[in-house]
Amino acid sequence: MTGRAILLMIGKRLVALVVLVAILSFLVFSLVHIAPGTAVDAYLGGKPATPELVQLLTERYHLDEPFFTQYWLWLKDALVFDFGESTLTTLPVTDEIGIRLGPSAFLAVYAYVLTVLLGVVPGIIAALRQRKLLDRGLVAGAVVALSTPPFVMGILLLYLFAVLVPIFPAAGRGEGFFDQLWHLTLPALALALCVAAFLLRHTRASMINVLDQDYIMFARARGLSWGHVLFRYAFRNALIPVVTVSGALLAFFFAGAVFVEATFSLGGIGELLVQSAQSSDMPMIQALAILIAVLIVLANLLADLAYVAIDPRIRFEGRSA
Amino acid sequence: MTEAAVTAPRQLTRRRMKSRPPLLIGLCLGFMALVLLVAVFGEALAPQDPSQQDVLGSLAPPSAEHWLGTDGLGRDVFSRMLAGARSAIMGPLVIAVVAMVCGNLLGLLAGYRAGLVDSLLMRWVDLMVAIPSLLIIIVVAGALGGGYWLAVALLTILTIPTDARVMRAATLEQVPRPYVEAAKTLGVSNGRIMVRHIWPNIAATAVANSVIIFAGSLVAIAGLSFLGLGAAPGTPDWGQMLSENQPLLFTNPVASIAPGIAIALTATAVNLIGDWVYEKMSRRGAAR
Amino acid sequence: MSPHTEPTLTAGRPVLEVEGMRIERTDIGAPIVTSLDLQLAAGESIGIVGESGSGKSMSAKALIGLLPEGVVASGTARFDGQNLLGLSERQWRSIRGRQIGMIMQDPFTMLNPVMRCGRILEESLLPERRLSRAERRAEAIRRLAEVGITDESVVERYPFQLSGGMRQRVAIAAALARDPKVLIADEPSTALDVVTQREVLALIKRIQAARGMALILITHDLRVAFATCDRIQVLYAGSLVETGRADDVRERPLHPYTQGLLLSEPPADRRVRQLVAIPGSVPSAADVQDRCSFSSRCRWAEDACRDGVPALAEVGEDRHSRCIRLPEIGAEMAALLSKSEERAVVPAEGRSDGALIDIVNIEKVFESGGRTVTAVDDVSISVREGESVGIVGESGSGKTTIARMLVGLESPSGGEIVIDGIPVRSWSALTPRDRRKLRQTVQTVFQDPYSSLNPMRTIGWALKEAITTHDRGGGNVEGRVAELLESVGLSASYAQRRPSSLSGGERQRVAIARALAVEPRVLICDEPVSALDMSVQAQILNLLQEVRTERGISCLFITHDLSIVRQASEYLYVMHHGKVVESGPTESVLDNPSVEYTAQLLNSVPRPDGQWLVTGDADEMAATRG
Repeated sequence: MTGRAILLMIGKRLVALVVLVAILSFLVFSLVHIAPGTAVDAYLGGKPATPELVQLLTERYHLDEPFFTQYWLWLKDALVFDFGESTLTTLPVTDEIGIRLGPSAFLAVYAYVLTVLLGVVPGIIAALRQRKLLDRGLVAGAVVALSTPPFVMGILLLYLFAVLVPIFPAAGRGEGFFDQLWHLTLPALALALCVAAFLLRHTRASMINVLDQDYIMFARARGLSWGHVLFRYAFRNALIPVVTVSGALLAFFFAGAVFVEATFSLGGIGELLVQSAQSSDMPMIQALAILIAVLIVLANLLADLAYVAIDPRIRFEGRSA
Repeated sequence: MTEAAVTAPRQLTRRRMKSRPPLLIGLCLGFMALVLLVAVFGEALAPQDPSQQDVLGSLAPPSAEHWLGTDGLGRDVFSRMLAGARSAIMGPLVIAVVAMVCGNLLGLLAGYRAGLVDSLLMRWVDLMVAIPSLLIIIVVAGALGGGYWLAVALLTILTIPTDARVMRAATLEQVPRPYVEAAKTLGVSNGRIMVRHIWPNIAATAVANSVIIFAGSLVAIAGLSFLGLGAAPGTPDWGQMLSENQPLLFTNPVASIAPGIAIALTATAVNLIGDWVYEKMSRRGAAR
Repeated sequence: MSPHTEPTLTAGRPVLEVEGMRIERTDIGAPIVTSLDLQLAAGESIGIVGESGSGKSMSAKALIGLLPEGVVASGTARFDGQNLLGLSERQWRSIRGRQIGMIMQDPFTMLNPVMRCGRILEESLLPERRLSRAERRAEAIRRLAEVGITDESVVERYPFQLSGGMRQRVAIAAALARDPKVLIADEPSTALDVVTQREVLALIKRIQAARGMALILITHDLRVAFATCDRIQVLYAGSLVETGRADDVRERPLHPYTQGLLLSEPPADRRVRQLVAIPGSVPSAADVQDRCSFSSRCRWAEDACRDGVPALAEVGEDRHSRCIRLPEIGAEMAALLSKSEERAVVPAEGRSDGALIDIVNIEKVFESGGRTVTAVDDVSISVREGESVGIVGESGSGKTTIARMLVGLESPSGGEIVIDGIPVRSWSALTPRDRRKLRQTVQTVFQDPYSSLNPMRTIGWALKEAITTHDRGGGNVEGRVAELLESVGLSASYAQRRPSSLSGGERQRVAIARALAVEPRVLICDEPVSALDMSVQAQILNLLQEVRTERGISCLFITHDLSIVRQASEYLYVMHHGKVVESGPTESVLDNPSVEYTAQLLNSVPRPDGQWLVTGDADEMAATRG
């Protein structure tokens, strides 16, 4: 695939992204009208319906216009990141989100690094020690980790490393890089372990499959060293299906992040989403839903690009992912 | 020339299955039987009334009277655990059964003949893959106000396409096989080919997948209750207890982590059973 | 005479001596190879011939130290003063590639899919030769030229961008990059088309001669072994049954198995009355480790044969056989051999009138990824009442697509198909009555008996379904199932069994019974024997012949194998790139081909006259076309 074809693919995906977000924005907008009570009730968020407030909200969100005009006006505002004001705090939604992006991003990157380390490396080791004690141990551990959701893992980790052996803080997110790293270790682990277990199983299966291929045996028959075969042959080929699933893993990852932030009170996007869902804070829910959808689709695009980079068969035959 | 006879022995060695110790599976099955029993008779088995508050006796450590201690309102944690088994099991059971029936039907149809069902299903699935269903449920539950059965209904609707996708892929793998083409050239009807020929060959995937769905929804429902978007406040439910008792981590840790352990253990047992069922069923009748 | 003779590589000095090699699975203690002996001289080529389950591939892996985990080899394999079977992984590294090289069967899976061919060659070169990047590239190009690839751009290509033949050439170049003294070639041409097969084997022989390298060729195909090797070792169910010089073995086999294998192979140059098939199927090495491995299928077997493993006895100059009854049955074997030489009566040329299947100017275009591929291009074929028509061609010639269009698994893009007077351009447009009539006219036997039966259903279930699908009248269905099984040489008790407990030959018999259940008038056989062991192929070919004459049904026989088509058809179409290039009565087409392509196909059938592998410039041209 030439550079041009890759650009074409990115272009196509971006168009698809726009279409997806358009559909989504419509659904998200409709939530206000699906919610129990009138749209004004939804925007009131439980505050007493004084005539002035009702009048203000009707004007602010154009509630006297026809449905589609309302949507159009809402969308125009949304395009310049104006989703209205939170019914909970009455602050602009975009500002609220802005201050909470930092901790969430830190947690996500930290947990992603842990996921890859804890998923891919033991997966490869398990495949190389197939049917040995270490392999069985890792596989069994993976089933347990896979079955333990992040919010349970979070509480178990808190109990183990903040209560029993207090080496990590039980709450807060810290200041400065290393302090944040220290504070976010338990949350990142809680988030990473479940997804890493999935990755471990996948990597192991993929690696076992690759080690069984003719080209591995042919490489060894030519006298290439085991290390060379492992690095230049096995890893590269085994990682192709692993990269392929990483797109699907992201969905797990984002959902898990919400629970972990709620468990550890990190003051991130996920916690904000839960709070706004609990209090039916409509403008906030709408903005967060669209933000998260865009993030996930972009992350998926990155995963696809990595896939194209790693597998020449896709590049040349244009079998699009 | 493709020499199947030459490649066959290699398949034989590759197929050699590792057999999991049946003892472990026995334990899992026994544990699940216990959980089911508790789910049915939970209230009756509970030594104390699960919602009986006792402010003076709150935060009691585990004792002969309160096996897992009491929570912040003085309720007996062990009794609440027993009572909570029902909401932990019931919803996931409904989801797994409904998703399996609908998912199998849709998956078979979509995989067997490309067409409207197939393209609609795939669009639906694309949307599901892009946005995790739990987030959709959080958003919708937030707008509609939450509730246990709303969560179950939403999860069912969102799980069907993922199950259908797995079954579609399994069907697609079977359709070009010569035994299906042989049935077609024999003039066997399409319905019969789908149900009597293809389905038995993908049943292992179907059963294993619905077991995995069961484990997944158990965790998801508990999670929604944990966030306060599932079971109604006050009802004994493992997820809800986990969030209620989280502040007790320093004062009464047993009460705090017990519901978490119950969720993880049940999900582990179900996942292990799922893996085992898949291996056992796919070995039956497998070529060679 | 000097006491210090130079250790030159002269023929006759053994480079590899294997004695009593035994390979077994350690977990269940089952043998895969019970005993293998081999003496390979420098520059010599030895063919190890065996069917599936003979242990030939495991022997190859043992000799290069790459047995899978849980499989161990014992005995001795002396090479350069050391016993290969006792080497550590570290010691093996100085042997593999440098002393002993190996190429494997499938060129499509043998090369790393994510590495360019140039890199594959460069990394295979000796690491201690410190070459610059440019020198390595030049060396890779030189190595490609040695295997007949003159197109230098191949170094920049990935394996999946090359044809099968080209990939196998790249693999050969890579296997020889460290200049081994011995090359083990495990079915190097089996996955390739006949024309490419000949080119690749010729290439291996040419390089072998140029380098004075010794060759162990592992194959299931006696014809290939005879045409390529100096000496032959026949392996059956894990033990050697006969060894000898290629010409000797071919002219006078001295073990009933070798003879059976020779007789069950249809000759390419003549039609015989009936093939002499070996009954039954190949046992596993573990089941026959206490007896003559062939005793369960041998027509001359008696109690003595089942009482212990016979020794591999010397029966002539450079000739060994494991048959203890050889002195008694030698004459009978010779008589059988000469009897099989009898030619069959050549069927009268000229075709009957009534066309049962008429394919007129048919066309099939596939679209994939924006490209269109014309699989079948303006083909006209007819099958007359009671006639057996052959279609022969390489893979990709469109022959299978025609079969699939005939039974409605594909729809033609253009042209007309008329079956028994009913036009069948589109099956979905047919009335149910017509469709039912057609199903009862045309039935198919598929290539792969391992997957053409539903693995979850019993044989009886499958046959019952075939019977009741079109005949809801009921009647004694069980009885008819038993009848059907009997008519294909299986006992009624097979009805209770599942396909997984049947051998390939038995499954193909069931598939034939299923096709016969609706009492069709035409049987379409798409490569019905190519997935089967050689000793079983003849059984199935004979069965099809028998079914045809007994029931008087027509047959459309599709195959890549010219010798099979000569036995099985009276009228022949030769296909190439989607077109029929030649047609006519089988005998006259094969005896006097009028088209260059047919002649090329005929020329590619292995023959032991020493000329088969002599190729000219056409070889180089073919190498660069892919």
